[in-house]
Amino acid sequence: MRTIALAGNPNTGKTSLFNTLTKSYEYVGNWSGVTVEKKVGLLRNKQGQLVDLPGIYSLHPLSSDESVAANFLLTESPDAVLNIIDSSQLERNLYLTIQLLEYNKPFLIGLNMIDVAKSRGIHVDTEKLSTMLHVPVLPIVARTGQGTNQMMSHLSEPHLPSSHFRIDYGPIVEQAILTFIGEIQQYEHLPNPRWLGLQFLENNPVVIDTLSNIMPMEPLRALYQQTEEALRESSEALHLPQFIRSVRMDFIRQLMEQCVDRQHAQAHSLTERIDAIITHKWLGLPIFLAFMFLLFKLTFDWFGQPLSDLLDGFIGGPISDMVNQALTAVGASEFTHALIVDGIIAGVGGVLVFIPQIFMLFFLISFVEDSGYMARVTLVMDRVMEMVGLNGKSFIPFIIGFGCNVPAVMAARSIEQPKERLVTTLLTPLMSCSARLPVYSLFVGAFFVSHKAAVVFSLYLLGIVLALLLAKLFTHLFYTGEKSMFVIEIPPYRMPQARSLLRNTWEKGKGFIRKAGTFILGGSVVIWFLSYAGPSGFGVDMDHSFLALIGGIFAPILAPVGFGTWQAGASLLTGFMAKEIVVSTMNIIYHTPDMAGLETQIKHAFTPLQAYSFMAFILLYVPCLATVGVIRKETASMRWTLFSIAYGLVLAYTVSVLIYQIGLWIGLT
Amino acid sequence: MNSQAIVNLASVAPGSTVRIHSCVELHILVSRRLLDLGITVGSEIHMKRKAPFGGPITCESNGQMFGIRRQEAKKIEVILR
Repeated sequence: MRTIALAGNPNTGKTSLFNTLTKSYEYVGNWSGVTVEKKVGLLRNKQGQLVDLPGIYSLHPLSSDESVAANFLLTESPDAVLNIIDSSQLERNLYLTIQLLEYNKPFLIGLNMIDVAKSRGIHVDTEKLSTMLHVPVLPIVARTGQGTNQMMSHLSEPHLPSSHFRIDYGPIVEQAILTFIGEIQQYEHLPNPRWLGLQFLENNPVVIDTLSNIMPMEPLRALYQQTEEALRESSEALHLPQFIRSVRMDFIRQLMEQCVDRQHAQAHSLTERIDAIITHKWLGLPIFLAFMFLLFKLTFDWFGQPLSDLLDGFIGGPISDMVNQALTAVGASEFTHALIVDGIIAGVGGVLVFIPQIFMLFFLISFVEDSGYMARVTLVMDRVMEMVGLNGKSFIPFIIGFGCNVPAVMAARSIEQPKERLVTTLLTPLMSCSARLPVYSLFVGAFFVSHKAAVVFSLYLLGIVLALLLAKLFTHLFYTGEKSMFVIEIPPYRMPQARSLLRNTWEKGKGFIRKAGTFILGGSVVIWFLSYAGPSGFGVDMDHSFLALIGGIFAPILAPVGFGTWQAGASLLTGFMAKEIVVSTMNIIYHTPDMAGLETQIKHAFTPLQAYSFMAFILLYVPCLATVGVIRKETASMRWTLFSIAYGLVLAYTVSVLIYQIGLWIGLT
Repeated sequence: MNSQAIVNLASVAPGSTVRIHSCVELHILVSRRLLDLGITVGSEIHMKRKAPFGGPITCESNGQMFGIRRQEAKKIEVILR
């Protein structure tokens, strides 16, 4: 089957196009660095597979997500390249196009956002562009799907002609390319030698790395030196990569003169007006905080919570009754009855009631991602982040982390400096994800009814503040002399489309439902069984069950934190699998089928102060199992993975002890 | 005499347009990123706004908006017009 690589600059709509062409639902957003690893999908007409590569400005990578593309071209040799170009930023996009054209594979250009360019008065002559580059150019609007049918039929043609594009780099470099081709002749499985030569002469680290694995580098290094010297002597340029770039830029300039009419170009007036407020000198930070607060108000007070209550009533009432009657009718054994009602309905149902709140949260996060606000937040936050040794870009994983820590940890890939990336990866789990939301919801519902949003907001802030303080500590401890840097591309605002928003929300939220059907279901059954069985047999009083025994081990350790009961110990232990399971466990332990009943039970077991201390502990104590897995993958180090667990435990314990003891001391109960 | 003056980008007032004269002092990663965005010697830059407390500045060049830290902007020499 034919493999087609989808490549282009960041934030040009590659993933939107990928989703249209393959019927996949990959993650899209309006900032640079949404896609951090390659995604493979089958074309809708099953004529080939499309590989969505992370956005790059050139084949020379600066961050780890950017090296994916160069690596792919080096090792996997796609049958064709589909290059997506942002029509309103043609000049900058064409640089990558030239590097990709030199790869000399069948080639197709998709001129995306042609509607945006048109509305900004930029006219692109696609015919002429196609003639000058000797490859087909198709104007498209990936967001709406306009032009994608032609693209699909083009990609499915039985024979795709290769691009024979080449630029003359002048006698010195051309000679060097010939010598290079001679040097690598005997080695197999390498892509187009001329392309490889140019990439080598441009000092592309990925190419150098690959070559040094298969051949001696001395002759190549000498070739590089000689060529650079020759350029200096003829006073054409000081550096070889710089020279190659300037030849390409000259070519692009000619191309632009011939193909693009910018005479009537105008600025993004709406974007400018919105930015005048949103990134305002003094209002920027307050607006961001107000927006976050609004997010919690919508999730907990105005919208999510009432719906969750309805669902809770439905599961706790009619559904439970129905199941109960059905079980009695079929004459189920006492064991089965208890397993289904006290184990599965209490455990899984207790978590499912949070679907409205979690989807609301994901919907709002999707809005931030699609609109273009994300890049602005990095601007607003950079000064603060710089003070703690990170940069504004670290805030992107933090915000995504409010939804789920797993994609958030992966989003840290777009941070250029390795140390800043590592620290961001380690601290992202402190962002309060949607899985912790059921726990908060339960406890604020029981103890802080009149200040729900404010109390939850304070927990989110606690996570952020601690992350910032620890960032300062970690960047100090892991000092490497590496310089912090921050350059960010700011996209124009786009009104998020309803379809894309809903799809984005669903893609994020369905993970929660899936978890309910797997982890939480399995966990509930195990927990119920441990609470049903004890050393003296089945159906024991819960205080003498295995669960009480295991939870009891932790009780004395947790006493200074304010919740030294076996119930709390057992919930925290099971919560490591997924934080929602804390609520499932409590539902099972306290024998309640619905939230209202559980809230009453919880009120007996905790004081408000203990409840707050418990919520802070849940927020901080360890990343969930899935997050630990992704940290392991991203850091490629067991040591850092263990560190992320260990510091979490120490931090959670310290902070909760402080909250509880200081609270007691000042007379709170 | 001509009225051109060379200053650093950080000192330019919001609303004004300048041209990059030199950026040799810039950290290599920063200048590579700017180059990725098509910004290099000779590029015209429009200063949009500056964040408070020495925070990053926002500029526009050729229809592309970008943010950069003030210390880095200080290392970019620009020609006022």
